[in-house]
Amino acid sequence: MKKVKTAMLDQRGILWVVTALFISMLPQLASMPAHLVPITLLPIVWRLLAEFRKWKPMPMILRISATVLAVTALVGTYGGLMGRRAAVSMLVLMLSLKLLETFRIRDARVVTSLSLFLCGTQFLFSQGVPMIIYIIACLLSSLIAFMYLQRTEAYAPLGKAPDTDRNLFTELGFGAGLVALALPIGLAFFLLFPRWGSPLWGLPEDALDARSGLSDSMSPGSIQGLFMDDSPAFRAQFEGGMPGNSELYWRGPVFWSFDGTSWETSYLSRNLVAETKPDHEKALFRYEVQMEPTEQRWLFALDYPALVPPRTKLTVDYQLLARRPITSLHEYVMASDPGFIDSPRLGQTLRRAALELPEGFNPRTAEMMSDWRAEASSDSAIVQRALQFFNGQQFRYTLNPPLLTQHTVDEFVFDTQAGFCEHYASAFTVMMRMAGIPARVVTGYQGGFYNNLGAYVLVRQSDAHAWSEVWIRGSGWTRIDPTAAVAPERVEQGAVESLDQRRFMLDFQWLRSARNTFDLFQRGWNNWVVNFGSDRQSRLFSIFGWDVLGPAKLVIMMIVIILVISSIIFLLAPVLLKFRSSKKPDPLGKLWKKFIHKLEKAGFVSKPSMAAMELAANASGQLKYKEDVIFRIAQLYTLCRYSRDSGDLAELTDMINGFQPQPRS
Amino acid sequence: MATVAVPPALSSARDSISAWIKNRVRSKRGPMTPPFELEYRHIFVLPTKFGWGFGVMLVFMALGGLNFNNNMALILVFLLGTIAQLTTLIAYRNLSELTIDTIHSEPVFCGEDAHFRVFVSNLDQRQRFAIQAGFKQTQDCKDFKLNSCESFLLNRSTHKRGWLDMPSFRLETRFPLGLFKAWSWIFPQTRCLVYPAPARQAPPLPNTGHGQTGRAVKGDGDEVHGLRKYQAGDSLQRVAWRASARHDELYSMEMETPREDACELDWYLLKGSDTETRLSILTAWVIAADHKQLSYSLKLPGTHIPTGIGTAHRSRCLEALALYLL
Repeated sequence: MKKVKTAMLDQRGILWVVTALFISMLPQLASMPAHLVPITLLPIVWRLLAEFRKWKPMPMILRISATVLAVTALVGTYGGLMGRRAAVSMLVLMLSLKLLETFRIRDARVVTSLSLFLCGTQFLFSQGVPMIIYIIACLLSSLIAFMYLQRTEAYAPLGKAPDTDRNLFTELGFGAGLVALALPIGLAFFLLFPRWGSPLWGLPEDALDARSGLSDSMSPGSIQGLFMDDSPAFRAQFEGGMPGNSELYWRGPVFWSFDGTSWETSYLSRNLVAETKPDHEKALFRYEVQMEPTEQRWLFALDYPALVPPRTKLTVDYQLLARRPITSLHEYVMASDPGFIDSPRLGQTLRRAALELPEGFNPRTAEMMSDWRAEASSDSAIVQRALQFFNGQQFRYTLNPPLLTQHTVDEFVFDTQAGFCEHYASAFTVMMRMAGIPARVVTGYQGGFYNNLGAYVLVRQSDAHAWSEVWIRGSGWTRIDPTAAVAPERVEQGAVESLDQRRFMLDFQWLRSARNTFDLFQRGWNNWVVNFGSDRQSRLFSIFGWDVLGPAKLVIMMIVIILVISSIIFLLAPVLLKFRSSKKPDPLGKLWKKFIHKLEKAGFVSKPSMAAMELAANASGQLKYKEDVIFRIAQLYTLCRYSRDSGDLAELTDMINGFQPQPRS
Repeated sequence: MATVAVPPALSSARDSISAWIKNRVRSKRGPMTPPFELEYRHIFVLPTKFGWGFGVMLVFMALGGLNFNNNMALILVFLLGTIAQLTTLIAYRNLSELTIDTIHSEPVFCGEDAHFRVFVSNLDQRQRFAIQAGFKQTQDCKDFKLNSCESFLLNRSTHKRGWLDMPSFRLETRFPLGLFKAWSWIFPQTRCLVYPAPARQAPPLPNTGHGQTGRAVKGDGDEVHGLRKYQAGDSLQRVAWRASARHDELYSMEMETPREDACELDWYLLKGSDTETRLSILTAWVIAADHKQLSYSLKLPGTHIPTGIGTAHRSRCLEALALYLL
């Protein structure tokens, strides 16, 4: 028994496998901790060198220790393997290490297939428009890798595959052709393949990277970090009128407790549900929000939300809290009533929470506030005085505030006098509490870019903002934005535009506006592709008169759809393939066959090997009838077939059609 | 292909299923008469092992995509699935309408590999890539250009003299991605004549002298047989210049190889051995006599091949030996 020769990779094969793997790991490399990147790339480099320098495969012990070391580094970095980033980083690392032992076709196929799997996992992190280029690059490189691997495998018994006249461009063209052919059917699957309304298994809590917008605490610098981030937070499309830019306060996390440096949400405010909410019939603004995933539970709405989206609660301080973190694009309909009075009466517990301050911090401010309290006639007067204080002094609105140490509010109010919205909101709220006025910090987004083409407001992470609310008898919780007192343009123009300085090297006005316009495509992509879920699909199905499907029907439907599409392909296959076969029609051959058929009917036995004249000689000898006609036909046929100009096809046609091999009885 | 350990029970079950299918196909289609064009109903398509693995991966990706409602991942899965499905058609098209023109084989001695050369032509205006051929495992692989012919060389070991029927073989392709294989069973009617294996230590050629003495062989040789008129193409060294000068006409010398005693290869000379041993000794004698350019005759029970020489004679003798009592 001959042993089957194991198909080994050749140089071109490994190059394409590495290309496919490298392309698919690019987004992951970009978001890995920097020191893991060389660890991941090292095995790839080794494998390429091994190919070109004809190195032998590494001994098993070396491979294992390399794997152990790399995994240790990975686990050390991420602190375990929980979480999507860590898991996908693990996959990338394993694939890269797998190259160390990839010398056979089979291993190369595993690596290339898993590169495609890796490509699929990357969409957990981003489904933006640029990922379209990524998906195409991954597909093409893997398809070409598969093609080379197949060719090498087929020729393995002979050693080496012969060269073809195909080059990189024809291969790319072939791959692109495959993708283009698959596209319509793939899209049909995409539209028709039934979706699940609710997931089969739970989503991990930390689906996304840390970069996720506002968080559940606020310390100096936390919003400033967001300020550098131009990625979209959400988009809102208004139905009817929308408020002016300076009224666009998108409410997010509300903070009650202060420990001297940072603000936290309070247990009370997270768990108490609002007793009253505005009547949504009377709500002034109606809009639909398409929110990018944040990993947090807050939904954003203008003051004050009159609708509560499903699986969401409205807390006592009018935060919208989803039951689970938002890990994928999320859409909800919202209505807001700015005229609503929040808490005309404030309960004792909440009042206490809104006045609480840590002991022993900020003595200078406390002293000033007790002076103000003594001089003031009402709470409103203190609020006004504080705003005038910020406005009148040399307070600056800046991106690079000096560092604050222990008594953050004291230092800010009396010494540095320079800060960002969070400094103002924090200081103001502390000052109010010191003066005995219930106050809290609200974070969220302020403003947004109105996209004329799409008629929607785009709110970016850099629009993050913090402001205060004070409780005044009669008007309830009232929004006070101390930043606006210092830098009114922040509220009028937006945070980025109001700064004189550039945030980073490539921060240009024209680039920002181009990006704002481009966001239209992203929104369309979100609407039509990323957010196509079970609800949209059932809307699509309802056009055909199909109702909402239960799980059993769903499974049946899936099977039916797969069968229908597959059978369409396979039923059409013979037809399509017949049409695409480029055999030239041969009228002369048909005519000749007809003639032979007539002879055979008369009893003549023909052989495929007979040439025309030979056949004529045999036939006329056997049939002994109209020998001259038979010879003439054979002669004409020979002329038509082999000497293009001299044969007369019309005459031949007539003769064969009129030919009678037997005397009529 | 990598060798994957398959439990013997499973692999034998698989073999018997495939044998059953093969028999069904054979009984339906009958043996092949060239020229034979591969048509729609002759070609099967099934996933390869790699194709199954890839499919399982796609199912997992689809489950993940559905669960996370991740539409780009789903698009990737659906595209890959459709591409995989399309490759079934491409594989099929790569194979269909190939025409087997003829299969050729030369006689071999038992123990050598029988070589079957399968001539296949591509009459279409399309290229074909990596068409594999083999009985069980791929033995040969070819690309086809537009309107071209190629031949596959298939080898089969021989164990027995006589006619070796060419077993059924597969034309197969896994083009383009290796996810699916399209193949067709071919049931050829070709057979290869297997001569008996020549005995290793055969007794020396019997110079019995009983055979008719061979005539000297004209043509190239060392001795002059006579003169004849010069014909175009005769070597100038053979021109008999003296005779030519005498007759004013060119004459060339006719040469001959001196005759040797013919030998008679006789079955009955080899008493005391069994049939196969006798046949293999006779085979060795035929080869030796042919090699020495002796003329020889062959006598088998019921058969007598008169004295002769040359390739045709040798083939005749060897065929008689190969087919003796079969």
